[in-house]
Amino acid sequence: MNIKEYIESGILEAYVLGSLSQEEQERVAADIARYPELAEEIAAIEDTMWLMAQAGAEEPPAELKGKIWAQVDNTIPGKISMPVSPKTIPLTRQLSWQRAAVWIALTGSVLVNFILWSQRNNTQEAQVAVKAQLDTMQHQLAALQTSTQKQAEMLADSGMKTVVMQSMLPGHPMAATVYWNKTNGDAYLAMQKLPMPDKGKQYQMWVIQDGKPVSMGVIDNHLLKTPTVSKLPMEVKNGQAFAISLEKEGGNPTPTEVYVLGKIS
Amino acid sequence: MPATNTYSEEELVLLLQQRSEAAFNYLYQNYAAVLYGIVRKTIFDEQTAQDVLQEAFVKIWNNIDKYDPQKGRIYTWMINITRNAAIDKLRSKGEVMKSKIRTGEEIVNNIGQSLKTEQVTDTIGLRQVVGGLEPGYKAIVELAYFKGFTLDEISKTLDIPLGTVKTRMRHAIKLLREHFKQ
Repeated sequence: MNIKEYIESGILEAYVLGSLSQEEQERVAADIARYPELAEEIAAIEDTMWLMAQAGAEEPPAELKGKIWAQVDNTIPGKISMPVSPKTIPLTRQLSWQRAAVWIALTGSVLVNFILWSQRNNTQEAQVAVKAQLDTMQHQLAALQTSTQKQAEMLADSGMKTVVMQSMLPGHPMAATVYWNKTNGDAYLAMQKLPMPDKGKQYQMWVIQDGKPVSMGVIDNHLLKTPTVSKLPMEVKNGQAFAISLEKEGGNPTPTEVYVLGKIS
Repeated sequence: MPATNTYSEEELVLLLQQRSEAAFNYLYQNYAAVLYGIVRKTIFDEQTAQDVLQEAFVKIWNNIDKYDPQKGRIYTWMINITRNAAIDKLRSKGEVMKSKIRTGEEIVNNIGQSLKTEQVTDTIGLRQVVGGLEPGYKAIVELAYFKGFTLDEISKTLDIPLGTVKTRMRHAIKLLREHFKQ
């Protein structure tokens, strides 16, 4: 078994979350017992889940403790742990040589089968891991392709206005583009060169209408990581300019620091 | 405050097996808030959430002999018991699909959107609860963790291949790991 591929497949995370089928859950448990590297990885995942749970901790009301104790105290279970007495079957008869031969043949066959089976399993696991990787890559590629295609289409669309927003901070080459369909009010945003904001900060999108900035929503930071075209969540029927400013997380009623601005010609 | 008493995993298990009030106090003091937090992620109604926490504690208490250290940490075991109690309650009330319960629907919507190129920027609802996870990744973790979806169900609900669900799950937890390391 290729431990690295096994880990990369993500099955251990699913195991800790308990989202595998009963059968798979047991298989993974057996694998963990066999390979210390897997056990180590599991421990790291468990720690993460614990920290995540801790981050979401919420104090229950004070009176609940007494209520639960009363409940728990009443249900002291009888010890169910019965000693398991394995049945022993005494070997009374001597094995004849035929019997021995059958046993040897059978054991051999089981062994060979087991070896073949585990080899097949290994190949299958490797295949699954590679396929999953391919899936992710394919997905990313498709997203990129649609994004590019969309921008090309919008550029070609004569009903679509292209408003390039330029940097308002000298020395910082930043830019973003709004594609705006004046007829139906649809607007799309493509961010080309905007730096990732500091922690606790977010970009906010504005349209300037009658000289006043109107918020069009804050931009989630993860959008900056991949080249996407985003549909803006507001119909824009008129306006003189589009702008993006840097604000505190969650946005502000009026822009504080405008980064890029583009006049609608 | 006897909060200075900390036990190792093994000690805690032994302590719980004695079923003393001291053991209960320790358990409650150290785990009740975390477990309640988990219940509340799944069940919005406070009264129901308290009932579920109670059920979970009784289950932990009664089944401590069945805990197998080979299969994972004691807290993972307790979290899973609590999660399952919450999910059972949710499903028994037929509420899982209504999903007015904090995250569910919103997550599914967000992932739907994030998988398309046309993304809505009005994402104030995506406050970072557990770190800077992209919604596509977060949805998978949350569906599995708080809604008790199996990988198959996640794959079908979000309409993404099973292999991708797994690798994204791994990626998401990796990011969380780094996040918590800071």
